[in-house]
Formats: sequence, C-alpha cells, structure tokens
Amino acid sequence: MNPIAQEMQNIAKELLTSGEVTAVIGWEKGTFWYQSTPVMITSAEEADKLIWDEFCQPNLSKYLLDYRLNEGKVAIFVKGCDARAFNRLLQDNQIERQKAYLIGIPCPGMKDHKQAALVEESAKDSVPLAKVCQSCRYPNPVVYDRLIGSEVTPRATEPDFSDVMALEAMTPDERYAFWQEQHTKCIRCYACRNACPACNCRNCIFSDSKSGWISKDVNTSENQFYAITRATHVAGRCVECGQCEMVCPSNIPIMLMNKKYIKDINDLFGKYDAGIDIDTPTPLGHYKLDDPEEFM
Amino acid sequence: MSSVNENFEPKILVFACNWCTYAGADLAGLSRLQYPPNVRILRVPCSGRVNPQFVLRAFQRGIDGVLVCGCHPGDCHYTSGNYYTRRRYLLMKRMLEFMGTDPERFQTRWISGSEGPKFQEVITEATGIIKAIGPNRKMRDDLTIQAAFAQRDAEEEEGEAK
Repeated sequence: MNPIAQEMQNIAKELLTSGEVTAVIGWEKGTFWYQSTPVMITSAEEADKLIWDEFCQPNLSKYLLDYRLNEGKVAIFVKGCDARAFNRLLQDNQIERQKAYLIGIPCPGMKDHKQAALVEESAKDSVPLAKVCQSCRYPNPVVYDRLIGSEVTPRATEPDFSDVMALEAMTPDERYAFWQEQHTKCIRCYACRNACPACNCRNCIFSDSKSGWISKDVNTSENQFYAITRATHVAGRCVECGQCEMVCPSNIPIMLMNKKYIKDINDLFGKYDAGIDIDTPTPLGHYKLDDPEEFM
Repeated sequence: MSSVNENFEPKILVFACNWCTYAGADLAGLSRLQYPPNVRILRVPCSGRVNPQFVLRAFQRGIDGVLVCGCHPGDCHYTSGNYYTRRRYLLMKRMLEFMGTDPERFQTRWISGSEGPKFQEVITEATGIIKAIGPNRKMRDDLTIQAAFAQRDAEEEEGEAK
C-alpha cells in the first residue's frame, strides 16, 4: 500500500476512535480499476477501505452538504480542487468551517478515467492525465487542518484558455454548429449539476418541472437552454475541478463554457480565481462604478 | 430568399425598466414620436430583474432580437440594480456569442425617463439591423424539433432504401 493511503487510514482511525469526528469522507476502490469512488465511513474498522491512487478525482467537498444537519465534526480529505470547492461552499454559507476537519493531500494530478476505461489495466501507465489536471494551477490544498505528504509544484502558473480561444476564432455559424452537435448528445441526466461543488441550491430550477423553466422534451434547444443556464449559474464560482466534464456520459466539453466565463471575468473585472480566499467578493456578487461600459 | 427578407417583420422583445426606460417609451408616445411596431415592450421593476434565462427563453420561442434597457449608471431607483445588470450582461452577451448566436440580436442600452427621442432612435436602429439580418433560426425550440423530425425521417428512408 502506498504511504499516503496508509497515513490516511491511520488518521481516519485515530479521529474516529477519539471521537473527534463522527464521519470521514474519502475515496475507496470502485467497481473497476479505473474508478475510485467517494466513501463515507463512520467507524474505525471501516478505515481500511480508504485508498489514494491516480483515479481519486471525485471532488469530496460537495458531500459535506449531506452533513449540513450533522451535529458533530466531519473529516474530509482535500486535494487542491476539493479545498477550493470547500472555500466556495464556505463563502456561500452552505457549511460551517468549525464542523469540518480538513486533511490536505497535495495532488500529483489525476488520470482520465474515461481514457482508462478503453485500455487494459496493464496499460495503466499510458493513460494521460485528465484535461483539467494537465493545466492545474492549485494542486496543493489552499485550506487544511493537517497535511499529508509534501507540497508539489503546480503544472501551470497561468490559466490555459487555448481551447476557448480556438472556438472564439470561428464564425458564429461554425460555433453554433459545434454546440448544436454537442448539445444534441445531452441526455439531461444532470450529472454535471449533481457533481458540481458550485451548484448548491436546495431547490434547483431544473429539478422542479412545475417551475416551467424546462420541459420534459429532450430536444437540442432545451438541452442548450439547460447548458447555458447551468454555466451562468456557476459563473464566477467555478473552481475548475472539471467534475462536470468527468461525469458527463455524453462527453460534452462542459468546461469550455465554464472557462469562457472565467476568461471573460478575468478580462472584464480583473483576475479572479474562485475558492482561493473567502473574503474577496464573487465577481457577480458585487460591482464597481468603473466597470467596462457597453450599454450605450 | 431576398423576397422573404423584404417582407420580414422581426419580433423584438424590449425589457424596459419601470423607472427609466418605460417612462422614456411613454414620453416617446406622448411626444408622438414614430417608431417601428415590431417591438414588444415588457416592463420589469428594474433592469436587474432581467434574468438571463428570460433572454434565452425569448430566443427559444421565436423572438428575433432582444434589447435589455435600464436606467443610466447612478440613476437606478434601487441604487445598484443596474450595476449588477451591467456585469451580468457583459458576460451574458459574450456567452451568447460564444454559443453561436449573432451578436446583433442581443443588445443592451441605457435609456432614461427623459430620453423619448433616444428610445425612438434605439428601436428604429435595432429593427433596421434585425430586419437586415433576417429571422432568427438559432436556439429556437420549434426549429430544433423540426430538424430532429427531418433527421429521423431521413434515417427511416435510408433504412427502407437499404
């Protein structure tokens, strides 16, 4: 077993035995070798389930929402993006800082489980890193109570918008055709919403068919309406963990839309990275008198 | 195609804030200023009320152009509503273009209660532009359904031919 997994298990055992926390959220091995799924453990005996490998990409911070009404503390393992997601939820007043015990793990980057699904386990090493991990700027947790392992050097210092710019360079008709093709594939399973740490409304407008915002027809126009609205609702709050894209069964490049908003926010209102510190107001949650003027 | 465009009367949806733009439209009417009848004015309490979903829904249901209008910065009846609107729609406009809609179809303007002539001018200009680029065929739900049916029919025909 790798030393990080060993230490994770030891810490989980120690915390659960001492009663400091009532539950620990981590990863366990999933059904397939290329899947590591979230696990919630409540007793020290279960701590052996915890693992750490190159497929621990699920963002755990969102699961803290399930423990909103829990009276005790919950321990949670955080990579760079989970820590940003934690800050994000904290800033939205969704969770309380003192009710979480964060165990930070610097992340070397996670492998793309969709690519891995196509090859045999023996070819594990040839599987590339997930797209978001390739240009990760925050592999080290930005907030934690305790750190396992040593900090790693970020793969990038500047955000990578090359895919967004490639699409921007097309004509409107080409772009429309591109997105039509993508959104025709959407089956509206809402996995992207469910996995997203920025999507934390108790009542989502898409869950309630009576809200009238979305019909039951699955057609491209409604899919596109859903996609744009989802991206707009998380604009300025996306922590770039790429969960939406990873869980998408139709392989829609959802991060492209999120990155478009991030790029525009950077260009228009100044550089902003969601979830880095909780004191900076969100870009769409405040305004400046000298914002760019395009209303004439 | 050109004959279609010549006879084409666009439908334009104008979101007008109650305190400025709606009063501006009222002034345009009182002053007997002529503007094209292609606009549908929807009064909202503040331009901040205009949820981006309203704009998307309008395009889905067959509107050819959308105008979001409100008080000039500093004049908002609710102090800050239009500043939030400004941020939101700077982003929304770019996102709509990123999704492939024509940039002319979505516009934003500040029109105060005393700017009746500006209201006339904005509506006339917008109608002219949208008339020139023709009906909106993007994002419309009826058209995407039609396209899906057409594709299904084509596939069935292909299957029969085989």
